[in-house]
Amino acid sequence: MNELPVPNVRLTDASVAAQAFRRHRYRLFKNTFQSLVSVSRLRLLMILICSAIFWVVLFGLFFEGFQFVGKYIDPTNTIIEYLFSIFFLSLLVMLFFSTGIIVYTGLFQSREAGFLLTLPTTSDRIFAYKFVEAMGFSSWGFLLLVSPMMVAYGITVPASGAFYGVFLLYLLSFVLIPGSLGACAAILVANFFPRRQKTILIVGAVTILAAAIFLAFKIVQTPGEALSVDWLGGLIGRLAFSQNPLLPSRWMSAGLLASARGYWGESLFYLMVISGHSALAYLVAAVLARDLYRQGYSRVQGGRSNRRRSSWYGIDAIFHRVFFFIPGPIRLLILKDLRTFRRDPAQWSQFLIFFGLLGFYFLNIRRLSYDVQSPYWRNLVSFLNLAVTALILSTFTSRFIFPLLSLEGRNFWILGLLPLKREAILWGKFAFATGISLVASEILVVLSDLMLRMSTAMIALHMGMVAVLCLGLSGISVGLGARLPNLKESDPSKIAAGFGGTLNLLVSLVFIFSIVTALAVPCHLYFAGQDGTVFPSFVLSEERFRFWMAVAIIVSLTVGAVGTIVPLRIGIKAFQNMEF
Amino acid sequence: MIELRGVTKAFGSKKAVDHLDLTIKAGELFAFLGPNGAGKTTTIKMVCGLLSPTAGVVRVGGYPAGSQEARQLLAYVPDQPYLYEKLTGREFLRFVVEMYGSDHRSAAKRLEELIETFEMSDYVDELCESYSQGMKQRIVFASALIHDPKVLIVDEPLVGLDPRSARIVKDLFVSQARSGVAVLMSTHLLSIAEELADTIGIVNHGKMLAHGTLAELREELQSHSPLEDLFLKLTGGNRPLANGRIVIPHGAPGQ
Repeated sequence: MNELPVPNVRLTDASVAAQAFRRHRYRLFKNTFQSLVSVSRLRLLMILICSAIFWVVLFGLFFEGFQFVGKYIDPTNTIIEYLFSIFFLSLLVMLFFSTGIIVYTGLFQSREAGFLLTLPTTSDRIFAYKFVEAMGFSSWGFLLLVSPMMVAYGITVPASGAFYGVFLLYLLSFVLIPGSLGACAAILVANFFPRRQKTILIVGAVTILAAAIFLAFKIVQTPGEALSVDWLGGLIGRLAFSQNPLLPSRWMSAGLLASARGYWGESLFYLMVISGHSALAYLVAAVLARDLYRQGYSRVQGGRSNRRRSSWYGIDAIFHRVFFFIPGPIRLLILKDLRTFRRDPAQWSQFLIFFGLLGFYFLNIRRLSYDVQSPYWRNLVSFLNLAVTALILSTFTSRFIFPLLSLEGRNFWILGLLPLKREAILWGKFAFATGISLVASEILVVLSDLMLRMSTAMIALHMGMVAVLCLGLSGISVGLGARLPNLKESDPSKIAAGFGGTLNLLVSLVFIFSIVTALAVPCHLYFAGQDGTVFPSFVLSEERFRFWMAVAIIVSLTVGAVGTIVPLRIGIKAFQNMEF
Repeated sequence: MIELRGVTKAFGSKKAVDHLDLTIKAGELFAFLGPNGAGKTTTIKMVCGLLSPTAGVVRVGGYPAGSQEARQLLAYVPDQPYLYEKLTGREFLRFVVEMYGSDHRSAAKRLEELIETFEMSDYVDELCESYSQGMKQRIVFASALIHDPKVLIVDEPLVGLDPRSARIVKDLFVSQARSGVAVLMSTHLLSIAEELADTIGIVNHGKMLAHGTLAELREELQSHSPLEDLFLKLTGGNRPLANGRIVIPHGAPGQ
């Protein structure tokens, strides 16, 4: 062994590293696109078609909305500026959170970060590379949502052709502000709360949701008849906080309205204000990354929990006794999923937040005096509440139940080799999903109906509908989860956001729409007759109501059975033929 | 080339590495041995700059671990290597070459040499998502050597490699060390340490229990037994008792 002198190190030039990252990103993009085109042409086509349909539907909704508002007020009126400010403020908050979460995962928890940090490049260069990726992930939905709105608005005003180019510049500059701030927050959380990131996320989400509910209550309680002068005046007063000149959302709305009016000087001013602040926000994030990224990575990686977990064997024993009729091995699989659910705060906190907020709203129904409204309104509100519960349930099943089988990933062979019929594994997942869904949804819907003083018959009907919906949504998520698994991905949110997860959500929405519409329409037409004012020619008599309800129940039970059994059969077949 | 002085790393109340002192010189092949959870990977991650020590100093080539200079000198092969699924092996190697700012012509020549050495020409132009564990491991070894590092750090080097690839890798370690590279190798395979290492360090509960050549370890423990016995004596006191607890199924031969 000869002791060699300490070598002189020639550092990689920053521009060389930047070029290497650019080429790397280009190669990744090219290969991913080529493999999508050659292997998953159908998936690519479906994504494009779904995006196009989504864009067109949104455009139609926004266009009709602007046309409607245009009948009463000038579309460049102050009230539109206020509404735009609120809209962009909401997007600002959402982009802050979504980019922050993606940056946090990418910089501090991914295996790629461990590899990149061993390369001879600076921390801010790695940050820049991951930040672009995070912005792409978090902003494409934003562009898909805002672009139809802006096009619809431009046509309604009508704005000049330059408006359509300028609004894109506005959007691109705007997204950098919440994105960079979210990244700053992610770096600070990793450095100062490396073991508390989920708690901070939950506290942040609850605060934002509480603020949103508070605002919604304030808007709903605006005095005066809707769209009357008094009502609009009251509404503007309640939304005045959105006009704070320090808010980027205010700059967006003012700048976009100026562009629509053709006031180009003012438009350019706001564009410069936004792009200047975007650059500043990014610079702050990059400096933070330069100084704190490596230290934060070490803290997050070193912050692993060595806490012993309680196995709650007593609860296991009770579970086995209560569900003695379910075969033993399936009971064990359900217990495994329950334990995972209990130990993953991302799952139970999201479940708790959404269902908790719904529960909070249902408990306050009488404060809003909905219970003393006419039977027609109470029926309408009860079905709307049921539909909202089902929609939230569908997001839960798409986000957490659909990825269940995919998440078994590399351990899939363990399930495959269990001394069980393979279909029993799926039945176990189905029972787990249905059990949790039924308990939460039935409690909520009964609570809503009791607060609305609905009749026993209607409560029974709604409980039956919820049972059908829970069975169907669980069947769809478990069945499609087995048919379209993504065994390479370990992040459930990415599995849910992929093709299979999106298809699962779409099928779930169609299913909910079919079940709710089938039963809500005859009820609505019957109760409309009791109110005596709405659509007298379509009103159902007592006799016709009973007949159509019987038809609707048979139809919804049939749709429910098909929606539950068909996806499960497809899933079971795929699972039985799956090779490990 | 690698220097650890009084290094401690604590995860909460648990000390994964406890006042560790270690020097690995240029041209030395050092084998880092220890039971599961002994602190080997944590130490390696501190040398690579992925974890910061709670106390003490880690230097690579005289530079603080984690500094850009230290990373320029270093190559790291983790036990679970990371590859981009949507890149081919060749594209991945090119990315690493570009990142180190190597000269294009000499890097291209080196790339071809390594493809030949690791016998990767059959699959190097396919996407990494189709590779087996062993193929991935060979790509990662090539990426580690492509920029001629002065310090090579390898965590469990032979995981997933077939006997032929394992032989190639073992020969490479020796040739790298003989050409002046400091090699830090963490392994559970005592036979490799016995066969290749110039010096051996045995750690347990984050503390260095013994350090030296095999002959020095034998002398220290006053034993001429194989390394396995020395290791078990240092880390557990005696042989594991599992053989006394094996349950022989009813009706099995010999019952």
